[in-house]
Amino acid sequence: MKSQALQELVKKIFGDEETKHQFLKDPDSVLSQFSLTEQEKKAVLNTHAKLGLVNSDSPQLEATFGPTSGWWAPIP
Amino acid sequence: MTLNCHPTTWEERQSEFVRREIEVLLASLSDSVGFNDLVKEALTKNSSSLSARTIYVRQWALLPLMVCESVGGHYEQALPASAAIQLLMAAGEVFDDIEDADSSESLSGKYGSAVATNIATTLLILAERAITLLKGRGVADCNVVRVMDAVNSLYAIACAGQHLDLTITPEMAVSEDTYLRIACMKSASTPECACHIGALLATENQELIDKFTIFGRNLGMASQIANDIQGIIRGSDIVKRKITLPMIYALTQTEGEARNQLKLTFVEPSELVPDPRRITDLLFHYGAIHYATIKMELYKQHALDILSEVKSVGASVERLKLFLE
Repeated sequence: MKSQALQELVKKIFGDEETKHQFLKDPDSVLSQFSLTEQEKKAVLNTHAKLGLVNSDSPQLEATFGPTSGWWAPIP
Repeated sequence: MTLNCHPTTWEERQSEFVRREIEVLLASLSDSVGFNDLVKEALTKNSSSLSARTIYVRQWALLPLMVCESVGGHYEQALPASAAIQLLMAAGEVFDDIEDADSSESLSGKYGSAVATNIATTLLILAERAITLLKGRGVADCNVVRVMDAVNSLYAIACAGQHLDLTITPEMAVSEDTYLRIACMKSASTPECACHIGALLATENQELIDKFTIFGRNLGMASQIANDIQGIIRGSDIVKRKITLPMIYALTQTEGEARNQLKLTFVEPSELVPDPRRITDLLFHYGAIHYATIKMELYKQHALDILSEVKSVGASVERLKLFLE
């Protein structure tokens, strides 16, 4: 499931301020410029809805990947 | 089956049942020179005193029970299968620690690789014994053989994945295709196997069994990528110079000074001590963590799609869905 288009999209968003602003304002207009599958588009939008553009200050990062979340949580 | 303590959630109750299943298997071991204690230690989390230790049930070990119930089977039939998964995971962790040789707290770190190898082998044998207990739960002989075959087949693939991971050069490791192949063989095989056997204990519908198998594989892939992201955020994978998905993205998609720094740290042999904070910042800055998060989301979506399909033919999927939220 390697995706060249997905890599290109992320590279463009994180490497070009204008694209980043456009993505934050209207994600679909940026997604339409890349040959993404429907599943990939959905994954990009879901990720954006949950975490925004993921950076170390993302408020939901700890909740998503913290030691007590999801698969890592021990069962008492 | 009744419980002495008072677990409240489904997971806690089922975990207690799995623990009891394993305790019965452990009781069958000879207790020569603390042998039993060491096998139990491999199944517990670190604790200062052995008496305070309880068997730590991994989430994947509950999958056979969840899937079996989802398809309309009774969890009791799948309990030995869950115990087997738990034992196999514990064996895998002991073998991993022997191979990595980087933890003084591991069984191999504390007692040496010879003792640890023997304990891991014992766990494998107990897992096989657990599967034979299925017969006592009313599972037909042919299905006991099918479970045994599925477990052995999928764990043989996991061993091949581990071999690939151990022998690959850093240059070869900087490939998303190779990474995904190894993750699928090595990491996703456990939930894949757990879901497969949970389904085959409850139904003869091969199409449904196949769907749950694919569900488990996608769950495992999403979990592995989540684990990679955790390894970067915590810095542990950076210190170990482990090449995971975020790192592969950064090594292939960055240029100039950033790429040189990553190559010097992760690909080319060097004395350079990795600076976790600096590398983490770099990975966030170039979108490597964001990319890995989208890939994780993709696998989650595939898993959710499978759940929608099996739900449409009558399977109950609410509990399995919790894995993906």
